[in-house]
Amino acid sequence: MEYASFLERMHTVQDTYGYIPENEIDKIAKEFNIPRAKVYGTIRFYSMFYTEPTGKYIIRVCDSLSCHINQSKEIVQIIKDYLGVEHGQTTADKKFTLEIVECLGYCGEGPVMMVNEHVYTRVSGNMVLDILKNCV
Amino acid sequence: MIKLTIDGINLEVEAGKTILEAASAAHIKIPTLCYEEGLTIYGGCRLCVVEVEGERLLQPACATEAKEGMVVKTNTPQVREVRKTLFELIVASHDISCQLNCLTCSKNGNCELREAAEIIGISEMRLLPIDKGYGEDWSSYSIVREPNKCITCGRCIRKCEETQGIGIFTMANRGPATIVTTYGDKGMGNVECTNCGQCILSCPTGALHEVYHYEKVWEVLNDPKKHVVVQTAPAVRVAISEPFGGDPGTIATGQLVSALRRLGFDRVFDTNFTADLTIVEEGTELIKRITKGGALPLLTSCSPGWIKFIEHFYPELLDNVSTCKSPQQMFGALAKSYYAEKNEISREDLVVVSVMPCTAKKFEAQRPEMAGDVDYVLTTRELAQMIKTAGIDMEKLEEGEYDQLMGTSSGAADIFGATGGVMEAALRTAYELITGQELGMLDFKEVRGLTGIKEAEIEIGDLKVKAAVAHGLGNVRHLMERIKAGEEFHFIELMACPGGCLGGGGQPSPTNQHVREKRMKGLYNIDSLKELRKSHQNPYITKVYEEYLGEPGSHKAHQLLHTEYTARGV
Repeated sequence: MEYASFLERMHTVQDTYGYIPENEIDKIAKEFNIPRAKVYGTIRFYSMFYTEPTGKYIIRVCDSLSCHINQSKEIVQIIKDYLGVEHGQTTADKKFTLEIVECLGYCGEGPVMMVNEHVYTRVSGNMVLDILKNCV
Repeated sequence: MIKLTIDGINLEVEAGKTILEAASAAHIKIPTLCYEEGLTIYGGCRLCVVEVEGERLLQPACATEAKEGMVVKTNTPQVREVRKTLFELIVASHDISCQLNCLTCSKNGNCELREAAEIIGISEMRLLPIDKGYGEDWSSYSIVREPNKCITCGRCIRKCEETQGIGIFTMANRGPATIVTTYGDKGMGNVECTNCGQCILSCPTGALHEVYHYEKVWEVLNDPKKHVVVQTAPAVRVAISEPFGGDPGTIATGQLVSALRRLGFDRVFDTNFTADLTIVEEGTELIKRITKGGALPLLTSCSPGWIKFIEHFYPELLDNVSTCKSPQQMFGALAKSYYAEKNEISREDLVVVSVMPCTAKKFEAQRPEMAGDVDYVLTTRELAQMIKTAGIDMEKLEEGEYDQLMGTSSGAADIFGATGGVMEAALRTAYELITGQELGMLDFKEVRGLTGIKEAEIEIGDLKVKAAVAHGLGNVRHLMERIKAGEEFHFIELMACPGGCLGGGGQPSPTNQHVREKRMKGLYNIDSLKELRKSHQNPYITKVYEEYLGEPGSHKAHQLLHTEYTARGV
């Protein structure tokens, strides 16, 4: 397999299962003829690959400089209180995973959060709660 | 050829050489941490930065090719300043803050970080080191990792992947959170690690070291109820003087024996004795497989790193591996039966210690099928430590003699420590056993030397024996692929470490190509100077068969000297 398609292959697995299970790591390592540690290292390098199952909705809140100045900490706290999980954790009903992440590319419109593929900018506490309640 | 100037010295180097290599040819020392000869260039630590005329930024010497007309300066105010800052940043991520870490570190005495500090001339530390609070990895029987001491230079990763062809390590996370880890953070003992210890030799700091047994050995030496015997591997005698300032390859067999006796071992024996025994058993096995049928090629079984490698990566070929235990384990088995019975020592009171150039031997000794025949395994480094602790001046020691019964060996056993040595030793014996004629020329030059894979066709009577030798697991893997593709051989010697045992993961630092060459020369010198050079002519081998084992390949020999393997997979 061409090494160039390595990341694409990882994305496919990630999208299929919501994470990259051990047996898939072994398969990818064999396909690309690389050590399984290398596949694992790649997963650990990119924040959008997971080794554990995630919730149906992955909530990513940016805490880089400009979002931080725009009170992203408060947003994070509201989400934590609402979902009852900490950074990196998944709710017991497997619905939500919370992640505090680096820049999402909307620095002029902070604070910013993502729910799966969808980006929300200039979010407020009330907006966040509405967004979360609409996740079914 | 390319002409350039470094620090005002006019140089000519081959095209494609880096500034670092050019500087080294001109005897200009540039500090490095992530660079290691033989591995790919990483360019991560940046300590080797130099000024190149016409370039706006400093260039890393290890990763910059020398170009025609280049004017390089390695020692300018800017270079000195930047190196100092870089060094401080690297050290800030390395746990030297608490518990007087340097004093208790495995690399105390040969730390590359300390050497770099010395070269750069560090006089202050403006940054407080960060204790990252990572746990230590004690999952392996052979090797310990202390990630707090890691500077993420990546040398262990590259050594494991490139030289050894395995790749159990990876970097995880990004930026300051970057950490070297194993697959799934499972730890070295729970992944496809062969315990070869080459990563320890690569590590510039003390983040990797062997699982120490020397404290336990002190304990049994001080216990009057215990009868403690020791065995020394072939490759130890040509490396043990290095930690005491001796030249690599210095033959210190006699001093080694004296030092061990001074440390309080009740008997000082030689793994060489069972190396000779291995040859007789394995030679018999080879002849049987060739003449009577059996899995060919026969693959040697002395290197425990190689054994774990095949168990993980080529379990389908395990029938080809010789069933002979390694010399270390043959010694353990005989010590706890033959020697113990002869001297009426009970198994509980007898302690068998081995001194090995190897970290994988620690794993091997605890394999369940080995039944605890070898109690403790010291690396060459650990023994050097014990000798220092005992206040023994290695260089001034009289030459001692090994104790009888299991202390006499042929030159064929000494060369076990070098790649190709087991092959050569086996050929000397196989030739005479098969043809019944005396072998005139004893040197099989085609299997000697540091070429990765060596091949030879040897005529033994009417038989043409196709032999191959591979050392360093990367080379081993190449050869295994050729076998799987259908290439035919009769007999193959495989060693996990580059150079064979003399380059083992338990040997003193530094172990590099230059050092390996010198140790190899030492071993072949011992062989050529010995009267006895063929394993089967060792009178004590004859004796052990007469008194105890019967004949080579007998039922008793099988019980004591042979073993089985485990298909592990990845």
